[in-house]
Amino acid sequence: MKTYNKIALSALGVIVFLLAWEAVARSGVVPARLLPSPSAVPAAFLTEFKSGIWQAMVLASLSHYLVGLSLGTFLGVSFGTAAALWGKWDAFQAWVVRMLRPIPAIAWIPFAIIWFGVSEGAASFLISLTVFWINYYASYAAVRGVDKDLIELGYAFGQGGLIPRLFKIILPGALPGILSGVRAGLGQGWMTVVAAELFGISGLGMRMMEASGLLATHIVVLYMVTIALLYGVSDFLFMQVQSRVLSWQR
Amino acid sequence: MAAVTFPKTSTASVIDLEDVSIGYGRDAPPVLVDVNLSVERGSFVAIVGPSGVGKSTLLRVVAGLHSARGGGVTIHQDQRPGHRPVGLVFQDSRLLPWRRVIRNVEFGLEGLPVSRDERRSRAEAALKLVRLDGYARRWPYELSGGQRQRIGIARAMAVDPDILLMDEPFGALDAITRHNLQDELRRIHQETGKTVLFVTHDLEEAVHLADRIIVLGGTPARVVRDVRNSAGRDGSVFRDQVEQLRSEIADNYSI
Repeated sequence: MKTYNKIALSALGVIVFLLAWEAVARSGVVPARLLPSPSAVPAAFLTEFKSGIWQAMVLASLSHYLVGLSLGTFLGVSFGTAAALWGKWDAFQAWVVRMLRPIPAIAWIPFAIIWFGVSEGAASFLISLTVFWINYYASYAAVRGVDKDLIELGYAFGQGGLIPRLFKIILPGALPGILSGVRAGLGQGWMTVVAAELFGISGLGMRMMEASGLLATHIVVLYMVTIALLYGVSDFLFMQVQSRVLSWQR
Repeated sequence: MAAVTFPKTSTASVIDLEDVSIGYGRDAPPVLVDVNLSVERGSFVAIVGPSGVGKSTLLRVVAGLHSARGGGVTIHQDQRPGHRPVGLVFQDSRLLPWRRVIRNVEFGLEGLPVSRDERRSRAEAALKLVRLDGYARRWPYELSGGQRQRIGIARAMAVDPDILLMDEPFGALDAITRHNLQDELRRIHQETGKTVLFVTHDLEEAVHLADRIIVLGGTPARVVRDVRNSAGRDGSVFRDQVEQLRSEIADNYSI
């Protein structure tokens, strides 16, 4: 399919979705309070934007997101890679990982508040936790999957030491897998942003809580759309970078 | 475990194997025993034998990728700086897919005390040697099997090795490409005077290329024949040599 057709079809999909939603909301089948119409969102945006709340919330969430994402990604990739590289370390941490892994970020909220207070740090901590696990497992699998023959090639040409082996063979070889982990973390991170802010840390999630308390559902929808857009933009930008970094792939 | 040693002397032989035995695992019986072999500087030696006899393993021992169980492996390294004792060519070309061709050829030079400019110019010279100097900026996936193999040879030649080790380098190629590359390798050997140790299960390839053929056979395997060969591709002489080796290998084919 041509790129042009693809874009046209995607746009058509979004328009049909919005029209159907608008039709249901206006038909009166569902009370307006339960389902705001999408046409109410631009007005809500203008009010929120003029008062400066929208910008402030976006900036706040973005800063939690970026800090949490970079920390979680860096640590996740590092620990996942280390576990995949050294069998002893892997065995040492295996059961600790198994115990900690199933605990969702939301369950850490009490500790986040005790340790960091109701603060930016608490939100970033929760986001980085979520992102950490995704990257940990993706990197672990990616490093394990690096072609052993290429590692042998390194030894044959004097590049068998830890540093050249790691940076010239293992990490480049694992990069596609590591990057798909980073991408998954990018999306999961935005989901956690909302959860992390629900308990009163300034940001998109907090504003959604406030609005829903006042039954201002059109404002809730505005921030849902905002998150969707922010995610869309970050995923799009990431894909641009990724396709450039992995241009050696067929 | 016997490690490979690299005395810096200039001798008539490049490699000396003394009573080398090779095995996998501690308690498993050895695959290869009593291997005594001196490879003369500038010669082209082929190692042939049935599959599973340990030809490739012997080559891996010389390359330092596998430890011999006993005996001595000596590579007489030349004094010149900025080179590696061995240059290895694999059956699968083993190019790093995330490096362009020129950077793949530079790979072995990276750990050596060689300036960036010299690294580049040596890699370019190696590409020219395998006649792919127009391909420096390509990605490996853009190359054919034969071209990838040529890059593998260029990468090994770029480190200016004392000995070029080749592990069935043309085994996975189609017949026409294989013939072309055999001729190329002969030319490269003549032009550069490099010592070559070449593993193959293809007797015709061995007779066509090598001036000495080592036949491995038996269980555990040992050197069963050591033949001076000058048949080249010379009609009936070539056929006779191939047939003679074929029958000798069959005699020792007791696996």
